[in-house]
Amino acid sequence: MTTALVFHPDFLLHEQSRDHPERRERLSYTIDQIREEGLMHHPAVKVIIPGFASMEAVSRVHHPEYLAFLEHASRTGGFIDFDTNVPPNLLSHALLAAGGAIRAADAVLDGEAENAFALVRPPGHHARPGTGAGFCYLNNMAIMVRHVQQRGLEKVMILDWDAHHGDGTQAFFYEDPSVLFTSIHQSPFYPGSGSIDETGYGPGTGYTANMPVPAGTGDESYTYLLETIIEPFAREFRPDLIAVSAGQDNHFTDPLTGLALTAAGYAGLMKGAVGLARELCEGRLVAILEGGYSVEGGLPYTNLGILAAMAGLDLRSIREPEVYREWLIRVSDPSAHTRVRENAHALRTRLAPYWACFR
Amino acid sequence: MGVWNPDQGGDARMLIGMDVGGTNTDLAMVGEEIVSEKVSNTRGIREALLKIRIPGRLAVSTSTPLNRVLAGTPVTVQTILVPGPGLFWPGGVKGAVNHCGDVVEPIDPQEIREILMRDRGDALAIAGKFSVRNPALEKEIASLAHAQYPVERTSMSYHLADLDFPGRIATTRLNAAMKETVTWLAGEIGAERGDVLFFKGDGGLIPPGYAVNNPSVLAHSSAAAVALGARYLSGITDCTVIDIGGTTTDLVPLLRGVPRMELLVHGGERTVTRAVVAQSFPYGGDSLVEGGLLPRRLGDALAFGGSHPTLTDALNVTGEEIGDAAASRRLSRESATSVIETYLDRISRAVSSIGTRHLVGAGYLAPFLVPGIASRCGVRYTIPPHWDCANAVGVAVSRVSLSLHARFDSGRGWVAFNGEHQPLRSMGDDDALVGICKEEVQKRAIAAGAHPEDVRDIEVLHVHSYDVIRGASRSSRIADVVVQVAPGITVKAP
Repeated sequence: MTTALVFHPDFLLHEQSRDHPERRERLSYTIDQIREEGLMHHPAVKVIIPGFASMEAVSRVHHPEYLAFLEHASRTGGFIDFDTNVPPNLLSHALLAAGGAIRAADAVLDGEAENAFALVRPPGHHARPGTGAGFCYLNNMAIMVRHVQQRGLEKVMILDWDAHHGDGTQAFFYEDPSVLFTSIHQSPFYPGSGSIDETGYGPGTGYTANMPVPAGTGDESYTYLLETIIEPFAREFRPDLIAVSAGQDNHFTDPLTGLALTAAGYAGLMKGAVGLARELCEGRLVAILEGGYSVEGGLPYTNLGILAAMAGLDLRSIREPEVYREWLIRVSDPSAHTRVRENAHALRTRLAPYWACFR
Repeated sequence: MGVWNPDQGGDARMLIGMDVGGTNTDLAMVGEEIVSEKVSNTRGIREALLKIRIPGRLAVSTSTPLNRVLAGTPVTVQTILVPGPGLFWPGGVKGAVNHCGDVVEPIDPQEIREILMRDRGDALAIAGKFSVRNPALEKEIASLAHAQYPVERTSMSYHLADLDFPGRIATTRLNAAMKETVTWLAGEIGAERGDVLFFKGDGGLIPPGYAVNNPSVLAHSSAAAVALGARYLSGITDCTVIDIGGTTTDLVPLLRGVPRMELLVHGGERTVTRAVVAQSFPYGGDSLVEGGLLPRRLGDALAFGGSHPTLTDALNVTGEEIGDAAASRRLSRESATSVIETYLDRISRAVSSIGTRHLVGAGYLAPFLVPGIASRCGVRYTIPPHWDCANAVGVAVSRVSLSLHARFDSGRGWVAFNGEHQPLRSMGDDDALVGICKEEVQKRAIAAGAHPEDVRDIEVLHVHSYDVIRGASRSSRIADVVVQVAPGITVKAP
């Protein structure tokens, strides 16, 4: 089994400001860990340097007016919202990130690798057709999904496990039955959307499934949602590709969120997703990095855990250093699991009319 | 350690190269003219050193004895790993250093003591994840193991600088197996002459202290020696050097004067040590002739007092005069012609597949065999003067090529050069840091005997810097820089 690791040193160039949490160090520490683990030379990992996404690929999902705005603002500097300004050269950095997502998909479709992890930034899942938001400019996931569909795949299942609801990605596919969008996210929280009631519209009704979880939710609940919602759902939908919006901000050390997932929890989730892809679509799985802001205590270990799970490596030592143990105890909320079970029950009821697995 | 002094007299500019081979030690003294000599190894290294009666800079290639250590009775290396969080390594002990060099989990001394009681080896290799960022845990383990493993039999991975734990483990194990021999060689040569430099597999020179900390750089250096020597003697920069030795024929392609480098693989494991690559064939002047040409040596050729005919004898039977040519006549003319054809065919095929246009011959038999190979391949050839000691000449004319791994940490207020800490008062941008490192490696190379003009070409192998983020804010800055004085031919070579 080979996993493509799609990375470009220029993914580190984008910077809104020196103190913005979506900072280049998110990747620096991870790359240090990956290098130190020897994964840059590992037989199970193929490092791929991507190029820029074409405007044609980006135009499949974003409005021309928005792309023209980004092009102009990238020359002069610009503003989208208080979390998301447009620094000079932004469009080129965003096109490289989208290019990374596309290259990851091509590696899988062309048989260069069984699955692929695009370690890109800036992230994309809050970007909607006509605007960016929440640190995101171009929706890397939507661009990648339309690209693989252009190449002949029909059905794609998206699993967005970023701590924030993937409102942008949901918007692209809300009426589209060829894309099953599922999201696990902290609620209530930014961006405020992602309730159980949002299940799609028109022909896409039943093809969106939101799994909001309260602050303090940890490994046990994520495993529960994987086994009781995502796995049966995938088996009935039968995707041609599983796409993971891999936000690493559920980690218990993340400074922006309140969840309690561990590195081992992430590795376990990805192992489950890899197993599903093997069972349903010849192993085709593409993961794209979204959020995750715990530069030191989280990202190196979570990203490594995800990569290791994708490459089928031994996961026994995927963990954080012991110094963080107390932090996990403080963040975890034992009552969260009950709420997660209640929400899952409500979601199954809501989706039961459309899916036999939930009846 | 001698310092280059441009005011020194003519003799002081003599460059002396010594290549300790399998049976002989080749000496080359390169000054206004080149003088070479072969000394039998049966008399020991000190005997060879006594042959050097002139002052000058001595550089020594010890590739063959080190390769023999590695190929001979295996040295049992006990390995203690400190893998910490991340990928799983069987048998790892407690303890962890993180990316920033903080000790985030201590070692358990009792666990180490129990392992040392339970397992025994000839040498000890210690490797911890991120030890290049903080060697404290590796040093602590070495000190716990000191009673069992003295310094010359203990290797630590932090000297290697590369951020590549598996590569460092393999290299540290190799270093542990070689360290005692290299320490002995350094002492043996140092006792005779104080100012010696060791020749590396990438074609550069280092002082003994560097070699003892990372002996792997000395292994497999023959290809680099002959490549540098053939280039220097012939003046040809784009060619394939063909070195015909006693047991092997090696092909080393040169592009713009530079041979190709690869990471050494030892015992199936990739190390972090770069060395010149040669394509090696198991046929040379001592290859046995017995019903054909065999990839085996059973002693010297008949022409040199041996008891079995070899490729060298075959050349004598077909009209050459090498050694005691009359002694070679036990071999029939038919067999001789046939084995020479076999040899020329095999090597020509390999040369053709490389796609070279020019062959430069080296090694004792080069004038007898290279013309035939070149003619079959339709390429030009050159046999430079002193072709039979091109290896020792290459060692002599090589230049000091130190590498420096620097880690700057503004939070802790230090910079570590090759793992040794110094205070850091202020930290500039990446360009400024690279500038500091270039200056430092130049200073160190000159202190190790390099000519100031030899240290102008500095290779920047790695630059990576980032802010340390604690919680949500920047607290300090960290940078890694790796630079190296480019290996090559010294300006001191006439």
